[in-house]
Amino acid sequence: MTAILDALSRYSHFATRRPTLAAFVPFVPVVGIWWAVAAMEVVPRAFFPGPLEVAQGFASLTYKGILPAYLEDSVGRLAVGAAFGIALGIPLGLVVGFNQAMRRALWPVLLFFQAIGDIAWLPLLLIWFGFGLTTMTFVIVYTVIFPVVFNTALGVRSVPRDLVRAAQSLGAPKWRIVAEVILPGALPNIMTGLRNGLGYGWRALIAAEIIVGTSGIGFMMFDARRAGSAVEIVLGMIVLGLLWYAVDAWILAPIERATGQRWGLVTKA
Amino acid sequence: MKGLTLRNLHKTYFDPAVGTKVTAVQDVSLEIRPGEFVAVVGPSGCGKSTILNMVAGFLPATKGDIIVGDRAVKGPGRDRGVVFQNFALLPWKTVIDNVGFGLKMRGIPKPERDRVAREFLALAGLSHAADRYPNELSGGMQQRVGVVRALANEPDVLLMDEPFASVDAQTRMTLQEELTRIWQERPHTVLFITHDVGEAVFLADRVVVLSKGRVLREIDVPIARPRVWDAVSEQDDFKRLSFEVLQMVRAA
Amino acid sequence: MNRSAESAGFAVEPSASWRSARQAAVFAAPLLVLFLAWPALVAAFDVDPRVFPGVRAVLAAALEGLRDGSLIAHIAASLGRVVVGTVLAVVVAVPLGIAMGVNAGVSALLTPLFRFFSVLAGIAWIPIATLWFGYGFGAITFVIFNAVFFIVAYNTLLGVASIPPQLRHAAASLGAGPLAMVTDVLLPGALPNVVTGIRTGLGFAWRGLIAAEMIATNVGLGYMLFVARDFYRTEVIVLGMIVIGLLWLFIDRLLLAPLERATIERWGLVQRA
Repeated sequence: MTAILDALSRYSHFATRRPTLAAFVPFVPVVGIWWAVAAMEVVPRAFFPGPLEVAQGFASLTYKGILPAYLEDSVGRLAVGAAFGIALGIPLGLVVGFNQAMRRALWPVLLFFQAIGDIAWLPLLLIWFGFGLTTMTFVIVYTVIFPVVFNTALGVRSVPRDLVRAAQSLGAPKWRIVAEVILPGALPNIMTGLRNGLGYGWRALIAAEIIVGTSGIGFMMFDARRAGSAVEIVLGMIVLGLLWYAVDAWILAPIERATGQRWGLVTKA
Repeated sequence: MKGLTLRNLHKTYFDPAVGTKVTAVQDVSLEIRPGEFVAVVGPSGCGKSTILNMVAGFLPATKGDIIVGDRAVKGPGRDRGVVFQNFALLPWKTVIDNVGFGLKMRGIPKPERDRVAREFLALAGLSHAADRYPNELSGGMQQRVGVVRALANEPDVLLMDEPFASVDAQTRMTLQEELTRIWQERPHTVLFITHDVGEAVFLADRVVVLSKGRVLREIDVPIARPRVWDAVSEQDDFKRLSFEVLQMVRAA
Repeated sequence: MNRSAESAGFAVEPSASWRSARQAAVFAAPLLVLFLAWPALVAAFDVDPRVFPGVRAVLAAALEGLRDGSLIAHIAASLGRVVVGTVLAVVVAVPLGIAMGVNAGVSALLTPLFRFFSVLAGIAWIPIATLWFGYGFGAITFVIFNAVFFIVAYNTLLGVASIPPQLRHAAASLGAGPLAMVTDVLLPGALPNVVTGIRTGLGFAWRGLIAAEMIATNVGLGYMLFVARDFYRTEVIVLGMIVIGLLWLFIDRLLLAPLERATIERWGLVQRA
């Protein structure tokens, strides 16, 4: 028992020293277990493929150019939707953050529309715009915009008043205060909003691709499901997981931390 | 009330920042008589916190024995009460529930627990704060709760880890006076860690100077009790001893 | 932070229930305005009912749905799946999260795994869930369970791991055994993270629910919306959207957010991992 505890204690020290490496270590036994379970064929192979089959699927789909094409489609849609969402969300968030009256008027409306959720809009969007890019972009923009607006507003309101006063007493005009004090001060929260928004955004993307279904990773997964083939489904999930993990853990989280993440879980809208 | 004996305590560990094994505590022996108040002083990194953590059972000693009364101990336990630098009050429990926590662990029913807790809160002048949560109190008040919480559990020995380092200077002096007052009313065997030389001399019967993990010297403090800052700070004995200890600590 | 601003206009400190009633009214006001403007806008722009319905059509659809029980059936199905999936997930995830978070080595080992699976939580599991469980209650409840489970387990793990070691030391020095440590230190200490995890997980689960119901079943709010599309019955769609919005508002704002606020603010636990 003490031997196990010692080993665990040493592992935790190792993990603190080498966090990047420690992030990968646990997956090795998991893949091993996966392989073993798949090999035992408790469930038919068609329903539960092993890691080798998935790897083969990856290789063949990449070679045929299908996977890269779908990936490009998905990522492209997400990027476009996110860009619009941010471009609209930050200014709206600033307005709501600054103006008490606007906040009182808009906040409940925003909350209600966020509560409806992006997916629930699909039927209406399909009637309006059909099965195309506009529908999908709308869904993603709709998803991304709310966390961005809420967190930007929160960020604006949590800039310490003394900072604004200091800038005023140093003779800064209003627009400069916004640019040099408010925006940087709100930046940590804006990053949180962005991170949240993208988190919801890619999920909305997958759902939209499944339902609207023309191309993309979501489409690939659901199409495979219709054909009864689990390999592409699992492959899609792994690709999505890795992609989002990479973006979130190695791009977004460090930026959020670097901009001086202060509040952690409390002030998330 | 029991005595506390430290016998040939050693602590070495692997420091990832340095990349080698580091010796924090080197062959430290100390004998504290029942009811005696001993303060351990030393510069930062001299190993005093490590010693306290070992005695409290939070860190295993590499070598050596810790004996409470006549029994060797390992691991934390109610025989060694601890007062922490950062108070360590449970934020989700009220003051009175915090103070009664040790009693709850012993299975004492609530009415009895509350009675004892209120008694101790009165001792520290905190009766009005019984139903507040820790985050509603000032630092000084929180630490009073911390002290009283440890005392209410009737430990054989009281361990105090730089308990007043996290409060402002004024509050610190008040707390030091309160501690001696409470200690005189309810004597305990105390091991008190600090980097503040004046605090050590003011509070203790004996001051132990630590340097680089070793005991440098032990100095008796024959100042009469009860001690209050106004009177004590004027006394020659106090000034002399403080100066002596300070020189030792600085040279260490 | 906002509470004092609300009562600033009163000379005498109003009672708590009056304050919350007033807060509710202030909150609902803009929505009411929107609701009242709706028929005016539809009339003014002469909107085709196949593009966007008028108020009366939606109300009629609501009454019809209530009368023949279909609306109730859809709501019950959706809520039922959410409740079952969530309760199961929380009951499994919290003890597991605590067990994982207690030991630094175990938590270092398992955190990357749970983080990865949290990332996938929800919608991405729909295809495989329908493959394994076919269409219907099983697949959808699995998606919901999955969404809530990984996120709650991950957050519980983080919560336990971020309890200051001093608190555990203090409890140990006061004689706390392992059971007391869990009930009096670990569980309350991790509670804010657990509640946040439930709230986030439920958010993903609710979205996943609607999406899954559009594809994989024949009863439920998502299904109601999707099937109405085939017949251009926009009034049913908009009715469904409003119901979904109100339900989530209720769950999130009236149940979860106050719970989150209560645990965090009451105990003054501000800065967490």
